[in-house]
Amino acid sequence: MEQKILLKLSHISKRYKTELALKDISITLHKGEILGFLGPSGAGKTTVIKIITGQLHQTSGEAMILGTNSANIDASIYENIGVVSDNSGLYDKMTVWQNLAVFAKILNVPSGRIKEVLKQTGLSEHSKKQAGKLSKGQAQRLVLARAVLHKPRILFLDEPTSGLDPSTALEIHKMLLDLKEEGMAIFLTTHNMDEATKLCDRVALLYDGNIVEIGTPKELCLKYNHNKKYKILLEDNKEILLEQTPENADKISGWMKQNLIQCIHSCEPTLENVFLQVTGKPIDA
Amino acid sequence: MENIRKFAAVAQIKWLCISKNTTLMSGIVITILMVFGYKILYGLNSGGHLSPVMLSLLLNLGISMNICIDGFLMVGTEVAEEKEKHTLRVLMTSSVTGIQYFLGSIIYPFIITIVLNFAILFISGIPMEQVSLPLFLVVNIIASLTSCIIGMIVGICAKNQMSANLISYPFIMVFMMLPLLGGISEFLHKLSGFVFTGVITDMAECFANGEEYILKPLAFVVLAGELVISLLVFLLLYKRNGYEKD
Repeated sequence: MEQKILLKLSHISKRYKTELALKDISITLHKGEILGFLGPSGAGKTTVIKIITGQLHQTSGEAMILGTNSANIDASIYENIGVVSDNSGLYDKMTVWQNLAVFAKILNVPSGRIKEVLKQTGLSEHSKKQAGKLSKGQAQRLVLARAVLHKPRILFLDEPTSGLDPSTALEIHKMLLDLKEEGMAIFLTTHNMDEATKLCDRVALLYDGNIVEIGTPKELCLKYNHNKKYKILLEDNKEILLEQTPENADKISGWMKQNLIQCIHSCEPTLENVFLQVTGKPIDA
Repeated sequence: MENIRKFAAVAQIKWLCISKNTTLMSGIVITILMVFGYKILYGLNSGGHLSPVMLSLLLNLGISMNICIDGFLMVGTEVAEEKEKHTLRVLMTSSVTGIQYFLGSIIYPFIITIVLNFAILFISGIPMEQVSLPLFLVVNIIASLTSCIIGMIVGICAKNQMSANLISYPFIMVFMMLPLLGGISEFLHKLSGFVFTGVITDMAECFANGEEYILKPLAFVVLAGELVISLLVFLLLYKRNGYEKD
């Protein structure tokens, strides 16, 4: 079934004085979808979020968010969207509860919802703690809790797990998948390809101000699997990497018949490899 | 209703931040202690009775210090702190409008400055029958509001708390030092009549001397003019870049 489009960008460009930061960005985001915007630092990911959320104006093109042109949006749009940037701040001297309570007041959210998001983010026992005394992971979970307090229809996440340890990043991932299940559309920018592969329904690869590829992580990996290879572990613990040729197919078939194969894996490129193939440059360059 | 709710939320944030900011809170305490301390010291030298000159000096010091240090810095530093800690952008992407943020940011410093000016008046020990309280209230309100708007100008220009302090210095030099130095030079005294802090300290001086204060047209123009000018400068800066330049 075709899901409802909540966000549509058509031929967006952005020029800063002499530099063309975005050239021609067109993309859609549907309800209950996680869309990953991938690219190296400085590719224009944050600029896209700022344009969509009305913090910056595009040089040309049209951005429609929840049916409204971003050029015409006012502060009320933020009642339906949540924004988390890599440097979203907290009020350090206020408690965790106070940090959420003031935003609950702004967004007209009942205090029962504060308890709900604290539980969801595992911060219930820290509710009386000063935000400045939280660990980095806890602080990021609080930032996320604040962004979803009003159950936004679209959540914008700019590098949400940047600088977090793997276990905290995993917790954040679980939260995002739960939010997606609730029907929230999530626009995620990251340069972490593993995160994108794991979370995103579709990914767009951003390079030099253009979207150079878009599709599901699986589609993209299969599309650029030009040189098909298989990694095989034989019964004698010998690991072999074979290309797909008629001879190797016979060889594999023979091993299978003799039950000599412990495990076999196809070697599709990762999103990182796809990015390298498409742009000729690694994502962390 | 929605406007009031959001304004109240911003004001609550500001109050929580100001009340937990030891530098700002000590500014308030120091102003009161200074007036109190000077009152005792001056009293010791004059057998417990303050002469009108001493009384006007005391009021001059307390009121200028309150309006400049507490008014400018409380507003300016808090806006700058929000930029430094990246909470301003969070607020502005949480459906708070520019006007709600403006009013929420100045309401507590505005009230504190007004109340503190009255406290200074009472602490100074000036006979209350010499004071026209309604006139003092009106001038106090205008001066405190101007001070808070200048604080917003400081905040809008500053990138962090350090730069907010730096940007405040020229304002403090003009608006605090001019009325204070007016006591030692006739020229500076005349010059201080052209700044809003000079008007309020001039009024306090009249009260201290037991004279009737009449708000002259020049004083009214200075008070109203500087309020309007500071508001226009703020609006101009806000229109150019909002509260935070990208």
